[in-house]
Amino acid sequence: MDRPMLCTAAGGSGGLLRALPHRRGVLLGLVGAALAPGARAPDAEEADGCVEVAPGLWVLPGRIEEASPANLNAIANTGFIAGRDATAVIDPGGSLPHGRHLRRAIEARNLPPVRHLVLTHMHPDHVMGAAAFADLRPEVIGHARLPEALAQRGAFYAAALRDQIGPAAEGSAPLAPTRLVQNTAELDLGGRVLLLRAHPPAHTDNDLTLLDHATGTLWLADLLFVDHIPTLDGDLGGWLRVLEGLRSDAARQAVPGHGPPVVPWPGAAEPERDYLAALRDDTRRAIRAGTGLAEAPGRVAVTQAARWRLRELHHGRNVSAAYRQLEWE
Amino acid sequence: MPRLSRRPLLALGAAAALAPALPALAQEEPRRAERWADLRGLVFGDRPMEDAGDALAITAPPRALDAAAVPVSIALAPELAAGLRSLSLIIDENPSPLAAVFRPGAAVPLRHVSTRIRVDAYTFLHAVAEAADGRLLMTRRFIKAAGGCSAPMSSDLRAARERMGRARLVLPEGAPAADRPVPAEVALSHPNTSGLQIDQVTRLSIPAEFVRQFRISYRGQPVLEVEGDISIAENPTFGFHLAGEPGGELLLEAEDNKERRFTGRWTLQPAG
Repeated sequence: MDRPMLCTAAGGSGGLLRALPHRRGVLLGLVGAALAPGARAPDAEEADGCVEVAPGLWVLPGRIEEASPANLNAIANTGFIAGRDATAVIDPGGSLPHGRHLRRAIEARNLPPVRHLVLTHMHPDHVMGAAAFADLRPEVIGHARLPEALAQRGAFYAAALRDQIGPAAEGSAPLAPTRLVQNTAELDLGGRVLLLRAHPPAHTDNDLTLLDHATGTLWLADLLFVDHIPTLDGDLGGWLRVLEGLRSDAARQAVPGHGPPVVPWPGAAEPERDYLAALRDDTRRAIRAGTGLAEAPGRVAVTQAARWRLRELHHGRNVSAAYRQLEWE
Repeated sequence: MPRLSRRPLLALGAAAALAPALPALAQEEPRRAERWADLRGLVFGDRPMEDAGDALAITAPPRALDAAAVPVSIALAPELAAGLRSLSLIIDENPSPLAAVFRPGAAVPLRHVSTRIRVDAYTFLHAVAEAADGRLLMTRRFIKAAGGCSAPMSSDLRAARERMGRARLVLPEGAPAADRPVPAEVALSHPNTSGLQIDQVTRLSIPAEFVRQFRISYRGQPVLEVEGDISIAENPTFGFHLAGEPGGELLLEAEDNKERRFTGRWTLQPAG
């Protein structure tokens, strides 16, 4: 595949690059700045922050941070997949500027036109950049339950984004899904067919994943967290079941929703599975012991949470969410 | 005449329901004071109100972990609990601020209630007790809502709907005795959603479904009555203290805005 010059980049491995601070200072406006051409290591971060984790499949890694005016809610992994005839955007980003950055990255690579926008689930860090693609009138693909979830939460998310990133939130919005996936569907980009799967409630109740047969890449979005603590907003038992089912997929690598741009599959799912299982088992114990919802977050799975980044923001809420489900078992 | 779905207890108009008061940052004391003055007028008219001092205390996390279910409890001093007429919980910045009104049964003084609330934004909680002599006593507490993806509504609404009507009772310290009140928690599975008229992005319309009344009695005596609203979290849950001889029946009766009725019954076996 032809690559424009600016896709060459500084080398290094994706894993190492993740550890560098402020490596995403390039987030805004540097797309045109081509670096000197040179040998590019596989999975290296390119000048605009994108990483080509498989031929024609780029990930723009998000920062492992809370949304802020500095990061413009570019905290989730987003990206795009190019076929012969069309390009699909997988999660258009957490804000209008984030979506625009992604769009410029696509345009700079002379890829086929963006005809599809896949929203992997309802969360604002994944969908609020969709507005950047509105004029292209793409097909907007989501889980069959996505419209209801957006209807319930959309106004709250829009207000929350204004609080989190300030005036830069202006114009950020999801686009209404135009094609809903009930179970499975195929997305043909021309010589490249992606398998879309809608899952039962897991991370949220509207999780959609993609499998790129051609490269053995599974785009799991927030069904897979690496380094960043998993966040539970759906069904804990369901998430563990979905994860178990996905382990047998014919994929060699996966794109997590938060964490490195690409990780080996299924090995990289183990820490998440261990955390979720501990969350389930320890919460059940707390409920049986008569520990209340107010006290449980400080007592449940505290050791297992310790290894994860951003645990202080999300672990307590995970316990609360798990508690509220498991007390009805 | 059949009643149409009742409006939330105190909704400040449709616009407010769709656009909660934001931004809600800490340095907004004058605006917050004004909002409370408005709410107070709407709920209690021009009746005088005193600071409750030590007679009333709200316990809530300073930062809400889970905006969909923030545990809150209110403790009342014995002098206030004796003959208490009602206790109101108000969440100033929520689209429907009057979250619940508690009315104790005559038999047992209401020393403590707890519930789980939705919190839309950084907000004051106000608790207002109407004492036996009709005086209004008030206390308040500020809480910060959670950030990120923590939304005031739960994700898997379908599960809550499928389970609707199931009731739970938790007695962490066992059944009561005549001279030993014990903590009790009663919950009803119900989505308790505000609904939405028409969503701007998806054009979906979602009906409001919420429980508006709970009556809890033991051995035929009223223990607690709660008038609830959409600010009460999914699967409305209420904690209180229960006293009386063991072996009696605890009865929960609830009704939602669609006039669905729910009941839960438990015979409380004495411990051991």
